[in-house]
Amino acid sequence: MKKTLVLSLLAAVLPLVAGGCATKAHYVQTGGRESLVTVNSINIQDYIQAADKMTGELLASGALDKVPNPPAVLAISRIVNNTGQQIDTDLLTKKIRVALLQSGKALTTTTMGLGGTAEDPMAKGLQQEAEFKADQQTTRTPDFTLSGKIIQTIARDGNLSQSTFSFQLSLTSPKSGLAVWEGEKEITKQGEKPSVGF
Amino acid sequence: MKTQILLPLAGAALLAVAGCRTSMNTVENAQKEGQRQMISDSRVITDSSLAKKVSFVGLNQSMTPGGLLKVQLELLNRKGSLQRFSYRFEWFDANGMQITEVASPTVPDQIEGGESKFISAVAPNPACKDFRVKFIED
Repeated sequence: MKKTLVLSLLAAVLPLVAGGCATKAHYVQTGGRESLVTVNSINIQDYIQAADKMTGELLASGALDKVPNPPAVLAISRIVNNTGQQIDTDLLTKKIRVALLQSGKALTTTTMGLGGTAEDPMAKGLQQEAEFKADQQTTRTPDFTLSGKIIQTIARDGNLSQSTFSFQLSLTSPKSGLAVWEGEKEITKQGEKPSVGF
Repeated sequence: MKTQILLPLAGAALLAVAGCRTSMNTVENAQKEGQRQMISDSRVITDSSLAKKVSFVGLNQSMTPGGLLKVQLELLNRKGSLQRFSYRFEWFDANGMQITEVASPTVPDQIEGGESKFISAVAPNPACKDFRVKFIED
């Protein structure tokens, strides 16, 4: 009798316990404190932080204000990925472009790209057609190009693993070929590897 | 016999406490060339524990060459151990409306024991006139 009662209680409680342990899918704030942090990869909050820091520095420098016809026109050049993972550098550059556009300090060309490739081929075609019809160049030459590199530096000590991601950007004036602004943001993360497992 | 057990325990506890306490010493030029444009602030403290550990010393602002508001906040760790926190800037236009076009990140940060530290931010556009900084303990 007693055994049956205990078993019945256990059977009733078990689903509740198991249900309580299950992770229910839920929304978190992008880049917020609940975001997952991994040591060996760049997380979304890292891109947001790096982009925000470097945009703030670029705007504060006043480099974009020194153009004859504001707002400045920006072309995105090569962003080299020197990390151990495959990344889309637009996760960094797009945030910077959006912030610069919102600041009113710079516009980014989408018809001019590295190696003659346009981000928006249709816009480039229409622009060339308009220039042909008008028989004059309407394309505004970029005042600056934005290039950079993302580097990962790894260190290990026993089970402790550390990754530093360096986000480096240079704003170059094509007229002089000189970098008029340069920024770097480093993000370091540490974590212990599990002693058992893969 | 009891003392023999308690003494090593007390020693270990002392070492553990001392290991966590690292306070920072600083030195700076006494005659300052720069003049900070200090501004008055309004505070809402809901975590008194964090406020006791990391306090707001002062707030100053300036304008960038391009006419953007730049804000700097001085923090002081009143404790003798490292404190971790996250902060986030929010910006408002002349009508008090929050500027949400540009995502403001939650920045994880830390401050050593006894350290005085500055955090700063530049407004995302010239329309930003006011700001708010949110802090939470990690």
